[in-house]
Amino acid sequence: MKKPNQRGPVSSASLGALAARAAEALKQQRFKEAVELFKPMIRQDPRPEWKRSLAEAYHGRARALAAKKMFKEAAMVVENTLGPDGTLADPVFYLHCLIRDGQHQKAAAHVLRYVGTKSTLPAEERAILEDLAAALLVAVPLGPDPARAPSSEQARWLELAAASREALAAWVAGASAQEVERQLNRISLRSAFRPVRVLLKCLITIPQDANRSRQLLEAIPPGSPFFAFREAVAAVLAERALDADGWHRLTPVQQAFVAQTRNLPGTAVQFLAHSAETARSGPSALFGFLFKQPDLPQAEVRSACLNLLPQMPDRLSQFEKHFGPLPDFERHRIQALAAEGRADWAKAERFWRAAVVATSVDDDDDRQAKLSRGVILRHLARLAAEHPEIEGEGDGFLDDPVISYLETSCQADPDYVAGVLELIGHYRADSRLKDWHRLVDEAVQRFPDNSSVLLQAAESAMARKAYKKAAGFAHRLLKIDPINSGVRRQMIELQVAHARKHMRAGRLELAAKELAAAAEWERPDVPSAVLRIAQALVELRAGQDAQAQERLRAGVALAGSGVAGWFRAALEGELMKLTGSSVGLLRQELARERETPPTKEAVMAIVSALGQPDTGENKRAVASLLLGMRAWLLQAAVIEWLPAEFQALAEILAQFDAFDVLAEYARTGRRREPGNPMWRFHEIVARTRANTTRLTMRETEELGRMVDAAVNREDFRSANRIERFLSGGGDVPLRRRRSAAALLDTLDDDDVPELFAAMLEGMPKEATDSVRGLVREFGRDGAVAHMVEQARATPGGPGMPDPVLRELCQVVVAMAMDGRRNRQAPTARRSRL
Amino acid sequence: MRDPFTVLGVDETADDAAIRRRYLALVRDFPPDRAPERFREYRAAYEALSDERKRLEMTLLGTNTIALSRLCTAALLAASPGSSRASKQAVAALLAEGIMRTVIDKRPPG
Repeated sequence: MKKPNQRGPVSSASLGALAARAAEALKQQRFKEAVELFKPMIRQDPRPEWKRSLAEAYHGRARALAAKKMFKEAAMVVENTLGPDGTLADPVFYLHCLIRDGQHQKAAAHVLRYVGTKSTLPAEERAILEDLAAALLVAVPLGPDPARAPSSEQARWLELAAASREALAAWVAGASAQEVERQLNRISLRSAFRPVRVLLKCLITIPQDANRSRQLLEAIPPGSPFFAFREAVAAVLAERALDADGWHRLTPVQQAFVAQTRNLPGTAVQFLAHSAETARSGPSALFGFLFKQPDLPQAEVRSACLNLLPQMPDRLSQFEKHFGPLPDFERHRIQALAAEGRADWAKAERFWRAAVVATSVDDDDDRQAKLSRGVILRHLARLAAEHPEIEGEGDGFLDDPVISYLETSCQADPDYVAGVLELIGHYRADSRLKDWHRLVDEAVQRFPDNSSVLLQAAESAMARKAYKKAAGFAHRLLKIDPINSGVRRQMIELQVAHARKHMRAGRLELAAKELAAAAEWERPDVPSAVLRIAQALVELRAGQDAQAQERLRAGVALAGSGVAGWFRAALEGELMKLTGSSVGLLRQELARERETPPTKEAVMAIVSALGQPDTGENKRAVASLLLGMRAWLLQAAVIEWLPAEFQALAEILAQFDAFDVLAEYARTGRRREPGNPMWRFHEIVARTRANTTRLTMRETEELGRMVDAAVNREDFRSANRIERFLSGGGDVPLRRRRSAAALLDTLDDDDVPELFAAMLEGMPKEATDSVRGLVREFGRDGAVAHMVEQARATPGGPGMPDPVLRELCQVVVAMAMDGRRNRQAPTARRSRL
Repeated sequence: MRDPFTVLGVDETADDAAIRRRYLALVRDFPPDRAPERFREYRAAYEALSDERKRLEMTLLGTNTIALSRLCTAALLAASPGSSRASKQAVAALLAEGIMRTVIDKRPPG
């Protein structure tokens, strides 16, 4: 910037222009420029507002310098704003700069100016200044100021500071407690120097009354400049010997004070300092330092070094040479941790598995060894969930390593209920129903009083429609956990489902009895809508109209009133196969409510009602009810649906064949969000009526691209959803498919049939005959199609990519018919996997 | 978080009772109302070691510095409380550190 002319007078016109430039520079935080502009202006015309602006510019400049840690320069800039009495508008900032620059003497002299003067500073700032003044005056002795005589209050402060310094000096010099006490009595307890009195009082009364000392120390708050001193004195006062954790929490300055006061030997201080320093330099430095400490207990040195090995496994041989060989288990454990540190997951898995084997060999009956195996295997399961490089222990490449490791961990440590529950959760998520029920049965035997296990047992029994068993578990669970609302709700729903069956069979009394039993599960504070509605419909059918109407409206209100509430009631009517006037009433009320426009909440309440298991078993009745809702649901297409909400809705619409509604939602969604591929996916689902055989080649390729794009942007949920649709609804986790695909990806195109042929070399003669029979019955292509369908029903089938499965079946047919591998069979393309 | 054995100052082989005793002693010295952060650290460490399997997990799947801590504690055991006085320099440094901490805490520059 060009400096304004500072010599000659400035005309009034140019003064105005300068003022505008200066104000603009200040506004734009160009403080240096603002200072240079304001200075000549004030020289010519010292207007108060320009003086204020100049002070503001100086402060801004000083803060900018302080932000760059240029504290000395910042303090010098602030000094330009000193008032005639030598005080500043923002003294705390000035002190900050002086202290950060190490100018304690100057800071002490400056802070004294605020003592005993009337100040416009806020109370909080005054308190900080007084605390700082006391600490600074104790730390730095001030000589008399020839320029100005102190006020009486300032003189009193200087006296108190001198008394504090003398008391500290007496303690340092080893004066007796009485002598130090005498000095302390000169310090007023009501002054800002009280912390010095407290600190020294505590130090001279050690170890007579440690509790009293601790209470006294609490009078020094964390914001006080004496707080660091307080922490050091507290460490000196520690009743028990100061431990390593307490020591390392102290700063080096505090450590020096504590070491001297507690008379710590020089060797100990040296060891503590060196160990901390080498630890900061890294594990290798610390390892080297510890190795050179022959006077320390070697068992502890060994243990400390052992803990460093996973960070530097290359020192393993040096360690073993010095301390003797490690057991296999330890060696594998160290290598596994080291591999994890390098994110080499395949190697980590190999070493962890070797560690497990080592525990099995060494200590098969040892409880600790079994627990260790359990811990490592659960760890491997966790790693497998996060890193696809972990392959698992299963023989088949489609086995889920998470599940296989959890299974082995449960075998190793069957008493660990959290591990068993985790495995149950995986079985359920993976739709391995047989395993789920089996494991729940075993768990409930082993952990009969565990509420989580009992809840699982009740749910498993419900899924198997073993009502009495479920009720038994639920009763047991409620004895342990009477408020468990989840199991109460599930039992109510289960008994209502039974009542529906009775209603459909015309057994009115039994249905009423079932519902009365269901009511026993209900808590008065958590009334059940579905129970109220079911009871009302049974009463309606029994002709108890007045009571039924009242109960029905209560149930509808609980179900959300409006369309949502009456839809719930109408749905119940359909599930009970009600006819006549009762169902007429429900349809009439629902039709009336449908005149109100749909809301997101109402639509989602309907989705939730349709999600219950009974609706799937009565699809035709529900679909007809949904057909009546078509116009109303179509109005809801314009709502801005979140992806998760819409997914639930889309699944329900597809489940009940409302594909025209789904198509409309997808079209509207695509118009609203053309960049979101999921709307196109729903459009395809609606067009094909969720039947993959109706997919065109173009659509199949489009969906394949969608999966790849979703995987690339790590949207595995969408990728899974599209893959599930492509595989005809099979519920195989994407992770497993990807691991299979990854494995096949390592093979050349020509290797695939080669590999299958090798696998099928040993195919038994009966199998060959059976394939020939299929070819005779359906023809060659028909046999392949038939075998693909069968293979898909096997446990590994859903995880196998379609082209691979087809390829495999073609090779099998070729071998059975031609007695050799069909070289003309189309090869699976890796890109299609 | 630092390894829980070191935070609590207990051996890898300590049992439930020993760990609880140590935790309660620390909480007595550093209760939540007076030392909330330190208390939270002790609580987290105690929870991480409160069960046999969790302890084993900490021992097998991680590393700890408890042996080094024990070596340091052994060095500290040589101290005798209140038997000596600090130097003038140590006191002056402590006062200066306190002043510096206050200005840094109260008024960050810029």
